[in-house]
Amino acid sequence: MMVIECIVNDKKYVLEVDPQERLLDVLRNHLGLLGTKEGCGEGECGACTVILDGKTVNSCLVLAGQAHNSVITTIEGVGNRQSPHPVQKAFVEVGAVQCGFCTPGMVLSAKNLLDKNPHPSDEEIGVALSGNLCRCTGYDKILRAVKLAAEEGK
Amino acid sequence: MKTEVVGSRALREDSWGKVFGQTKFPADVNLPNQIYGVVVRSPHPHARILNINSEEAMKLEGVAVVLTANDVPHNSHGVLFRDQPVIADYVRMVGDPVAVVGGETMEIAREAAERIRVDYEILPAIFDPEEAMKPEVPPLHPELQSTNVLYHLPIRRGSMEEGWAKADVVVEQVYKTQHVDHAFLQPEAVLAYLDERGHMVVQTATQYAHYDRGEIAHALGFRYSQVQVKTLAVGGAFGGREDISLQIIAALLALKTQRPVKMENTREESFYSHSKRHPMTMYYKTGAAKDGKLVAMQAKIIGDAGAYSSWSINVLRKSAVHATGPYEIPNVEIDSFAVFTNNPYTGAMRGFGAAQTVLAYESQMDLLAKKLGISPLEIRLRNCFQVGSITATGQELTSSVPLDQCLAKIAPYFRREVETP
Repeated sequence: MMVIECIVNDKKYVLEVDPQERLLDVLRNHLGLLGTKEGCGEGECGACTVILDGKTVNSCLVLAGQAHNSVITTIEGVGNRQSPHPVQKAFVEVGAVQCGFCTPGMVLSAKNLLDKNPHPSDEEIGVALSGNLCRCTGYDKILRAVKLAAEEGK
Repeated sequence: MKTEVVGSRALREDSWGKVFGQTKFPADVNLPNQIYGVVVRSPHPHARILNINSEEAMKLEGVAVVLTANDVPHNSHGVLFRDQPVIADYVRMVGDPVAVVGGETMEIAREAAERIRVDYEILPAIFDPEEAMKPEVPPLHPELQSTNVLYHLPIRRGSMEEGWAKADVVVEQVYKTQHVDHAFLQPEAVLAYLDERGHMVVQTATQYAHYDRGEIAHALGFRYSQVQVKTLAVGGAFGGREDISLQIIAALLALKTQRPVKMENTREESFYSHSKRHPMTMYYKTGAAKDGKLVAMQAKIIGDAGAYSSWSINVLRKSAVHATGPYEIPNVEIDSFAVFTNNPYTGAMRGFGAAQTVLAYESQMDLLAKKLGISPLEIRLRNCFQVGSITATGQELTSSVPLDQCLAKIAPYFRREVETP
């Protein structure tokens, strides 16, 4: 076992973890943050996306030890029913949500893009979401939602 | 037509829970004291199990139980026929479950699963449905059919002799499609437990909760009223959650251990544990007269049902019914077959058998248009279903057949596309 320290959704944690565990396991099993989903376990689908030190990562490809001393944002740290993040609002508004399994990862990828680049081009939006697979919608509405969120933020 | 519903904007209420990551999918529910289930699957497409040795697995600390075919009270399930084992002692496809381990953690269960030794008598396997359908090939399900042909639907309309006599051009082609996995984003997961009444509660993502309930009850020997299936959020399905995957196995583990059981497929296990889209081989012969009117069509459609029937009958029926496409043809001979092989079993997937035939009948239209020297749009306009048309199955279409309007709408764009070099 090993001890890691990290800040998750503005809260500081000192955690005893198995070195074999992934950041995904730490979030889901140790912290009960179940909004981070596992779709493939090999970095293809992006359902487990979180923001780590300002970058989106597949938490299934990050070992617990690599998250030591990092700052992490999961979907639970973004908006709530009383004050949803513009990306979350736009996803609901546009109908960019179907089964919802990819949604947390999509929202985080979009949020991180807009944090850095508030007025992205269509291509930049596409690139930012290229690591997140959706099997239901066909992406069109998702891309439109991110665009809408960017416009509302102007 | 003005209604309050059509054309109105409605927000999906469930979207909110999903954008905040609050929605519970089956992997997100747990119970204290739960054990974790892992399935051992056959690497062979056709085999008889001679022996299963679980001694090494049971030596591992934290292994609660290893179950095999002998532990299943009624070892069969299936949507149309109960031809699929819960845990197999006779393997018909790669991925058939042959043993199940329950362990205190997922890691222990996986380690134990690797330690289980299965002795197989490997049997000859058959992967080509056209080979498998020959009468001399031994059937995979003798209790259902004396050959591997699970289903044959012939559809006849008019007279082929008259049809071919009128044909000025004929196109004859073979079309083949492949297996497709649904690859829904959320891998199968189940939480199963006995409640305070002694009833089996199974929480899962399913397209077919009442059927799951019946199959769990049947396999365990419970009454229907003693089984409750709770459908949690379904992370995509597309037909792939119309059959049983882990539901019965998890319930059986819960029954045998009297503890809550959690099961979660990896992506790889998910590929092994649900159906696929039917690969089809489609022999098409279509004839048209000089005026562009279709006069005859002959189609033989062979669908690979794989190892178990699942929805194959319904799927190949739909292929047959849709075999002409949305075109009126007076003389038709369609033969559609579902054939057992040792390939992964095939079942429901978006389109349900209607998707595959599109490749064939629309390609035929394009090739006929070329031979006739008319545009692909023109040949469709001259033959498409309209009110009053009679389909190959003899149904008269009496309303809501707006294909001509649809084609008229796209025609300007289509012409531009054709004209632009």
